Amino acid sequence: MAVSWLRRLAARAPVPVFPALGVHGDAMLRELALDPGVELVGSPRHASVLLVAGGVPPDQHAALRRVHDQVPRPFATLWWRSEPLDGLENATRIDAPSALSDALIAAHRDVMLGRRGSSPRLLPDEPPNPWEGLGDDGHGGEGMMGGVPYGRPMAMNMHDDLRDGLTLDSLTFRLGPFFPALPPGMQAEVTLQGDLVQTWAVQHAPYPLGLDAVFFDARQQPVSIAELELARARYHLYRLFHGLWLAGLESVGLHVLRLARSLTPDSRVDGLRRRLARCGFFDLTMTASAALDDEQARQIGGPAARAAGLADDLRSEDANYRRLGFTPVCQQEGNTRARWWQALAEIDQSLALARQAAARDVQTSEVGSVETPRGPWREGQRPQDASHLLDELLPGLEWGEALAAIASLDLAAVSEWPLDASVAEPRTTPPEEYRA
Amino acid sequence: MELLTLFIIMLVILCAGLAVQWPTVRRQSLPTYPQRAPFLGGGLPDTHAWNRYHVRYYPMTLLLIAFEMEMMFMYPWAVVFVEKGMMAMMEMGMFLAILSVGIVYAWREGVFRWQ
Amino acid sequence: MIWEQLVLPTLTVLLALGIGAYAVAVLDRLIAGALGLSRAGSAWLAPLARGAWLLTQSANVTEAPDWQAWRLAPLLYLMLAAVGLALVPWSASLVATDLATSVVLWGSVEALATVVIFLHGWSANAPLALIGAYRYVALGLSYILISMFVLIGVALPAESLQFTQVVASQAELWNVIRQPLGLPLFLIVGLGVSFWGPLNLADSTDLAGGTASEVSGPPRLAWNLARAAMLVAFSGVAATVFLGGWLGPWLPGPLWLVLKMFAVLLALLLAGRLLPRLSPERCVTLMWVVLLPLSFVDLVWAGLEALL
Repeated sequence: MAVSWLRRLAARAPVPVFPALGVHGDAMLRELALDPGVELVGSPRHASVLLVAGGVPPDQHAALRRVHDQVPRPFATLWWRSEPLDGLENATRIDAPSALSDALIAAHRDVMLGRRGSSPRLLPDEPPNPWEGLGDDGHGGEGMMGGVPYGRPMAMNMHDDLRDGLTLDSLTFRLGPFFPALPPGMQAEVTLQGDLVQTWAVQHAPYPLGLDAVFFDARQQPVSIAELELARARYHLYRLFHGLWLAGLESVGLHVLRLARSLTPDSRVDGLRRRLARCGFFDLTMTASAALDDEQARQIGGPAARAAGLADDLRSEDANYRRLGFTPVCQQEGNTRARWWQALAEIDQSLALARQAAARDVQTSEVGSVETPRGPWREGQRPQDASHLLDELLPGLEWGEALAAIASLDLAAVSEWPLDASVAEPRTTPPEEYRA
Repeated sequence: MELLTLFIIMLVILCAGLAVQWPTVRRQSLPTYPQRAPFLGGGLPDTHAWNRYHVRYYPMTLLLIAFEMEMMFMYPWAVVFVEKGMMAMMEMGMFLAILSVGIVYAWREGVFRWQ
Repeated sequence: MIWEQLVLPTLTVLLALGIGAYAVAVLDRLIAGALGLSRAGSAWLAPLARGAWLLTQSANVTEAPDWQAWRLAPLLYLMLAAVGLALVPWSASLVATDLATSVVLWGSVEALATVVIFLHGWSANAPLALIGAYRYVALGLSYILISMFVLIGVALPAESLQFTQVVASQAELWNVIRQPLGLPLFLIVGLGVSFWGPLNLADSTDLAGGTASEVSGPPRLAWNLARAAMLVAFSGVAATVFLGGWLGPWLPGPLWLVLKMFAVLLALLLAGRLLPRLSPERCVTLMWVVLLPLSFVDLVWAGLEALL
């Protein structure tokens, strides 16, 4: 039969997966990005499997339901270290990372071959608002406007534009927490006029970041500087991967991921930096926008602050780092472009430090506070969430600039739990607050 | 004959395109309302998306009209160019020079910026 | 008579469009694989499997789309690609549509492509698709002039706006050497008209797929097909006007054209994978302030060269 022949062929395609990231789900995303059997897509409309990676806090379950219901049929769901939503009792939950890729491929195949039905709809089939109004299209109301055709009012909230003061319609919507270009978990209410951000209000901070366990150890005991610096370089490479993906440079992004995976003190990033500079990543894609002032830079801390010219780095207080000749690298402008230059400079510096430290087997001398790749972790005070700064930074930016700025900033708090050493071992005790 | 061929090609392509979309689209019923909401990563919009959109490159589109008018003169000019020789070259050169000054002026005025 | 002037050219164009779109998908995958973005399965089967999957997926609907425009936009885009390819001469006699004004008709294809792509994004009635649509208009209105000046440049030595004449005028020397600025500028136009790679402002990652973000199933297949077909049509035109079309020793004319089209496609797809997406504002400024004056220079160069 023609249909079954079509479906058999369809089952052989690489699985289009839409990832909805929960807490620490981004680690799994990076594994999947390198998986040849899986293709990560940016919209649920383009997916055959919805992957929920990591626990989702209960207050975001409503949003997860909405995303779930936006995947066109037929599709399957897969839950990686996450409890399936109510109503999806038969959904597959996977905890072992090694099994995930095969499970995704199997899920796609089963749906295509009809061995498994499509995931059911979770939300009732109702328009967002009861349809009111007069006339064929329900526009009704006063004059042309006023009703709720198809359950939604028309855009007619006039605002003066931030840039040129023209009074035109604006669009208000809530974005996230599963929008792939935003940090996982971040939710914001956005008002646009044209493609320019008029207001940006963060409603839910991004999930806390999982740092490598070595940064936690460094607060208890002296650790090898080589190991610490490699972990730092890896962290920045992961951020760069996201930035490159957003800029449409997927092939270079995967190169960066592979580099992060096989990082040694002898790795180099000069070639990568030259390549990015030559293809116009810094000049034509990234703009000199979203510059931080000193106060904002201080609030965020870490590489973002150093990109704005503040030479604060806890490593300069460590005698052994000073012996290795450490001085903080800085940029001056503090904008999106400068932050990416800074990220590459820090990777370069970390690798250089790791090379020297590995040769002499140097350990950290300070204990108690550590400079994490997110920012300084002083006695008992982890780097805190700074996503509220976006509310000041983003208004006035074009949509693409705004998202590029978010990708270049690292704003989430640092989680109290380290990231699993690799995603190879399942977490034994999931953090209580995020148990879905 | 040329235009007939072109017409047939367009017709065949239109039918082929419809054949790809039509059978499946026709068979299925409308998806549920939650599925039909625009994708915003789990968020929802307040209103429909259609609005009086703020087109920020609006001055650039006006500049384009000036150039598009020029293109109308250029098509016939291109055909007789070699025949008319250096004279045609000079005339069009002057025309382009004036327009280039226009571009520089527009650039200085920030026409190509999103405003 | 009917066979030679109607059936054969029509079949050639339709076959070239179908095989060409498939070849684009295979070639893009092979290039991606060479650049480290490997996918499981054979590159030859993957586009077919992807197409089959899109046919089985249900078509998404938004809350209140402009139905006609939304469903027709992919078809119209595909049709524009077919019109473009119909203008390409495969040999001195095998041309589907050998108009005296081929250059003008191709110009209108480019202009209408902007309309169709805008319509695809606008008619979905979704915020992100809408932004993609308006962004594309900024790009479309910027590259169209570059395209026109470059094409007028190739019409000068031919003393005609007919593609067959343009090819005939390259018998001694191809335009790619005669007008060195022309082909690079025209390739940028090609990336623009199919919003590929660095000029993918319409369906970009920061918009979760832009104009296609709400499209799934068969309409998405039609849209992807149309994009690939537009690349093929563009490469046909580029090979015709800059690489001497069917001209070449030893091999038959149509084969030469196919080889040259492949060369153009290869350049476009490589650029698509190696370059990051431009920011829209930067893109508009670049087009008007740098590339458009360069296309003036190209035109003056072409004019002087034609007179000498």
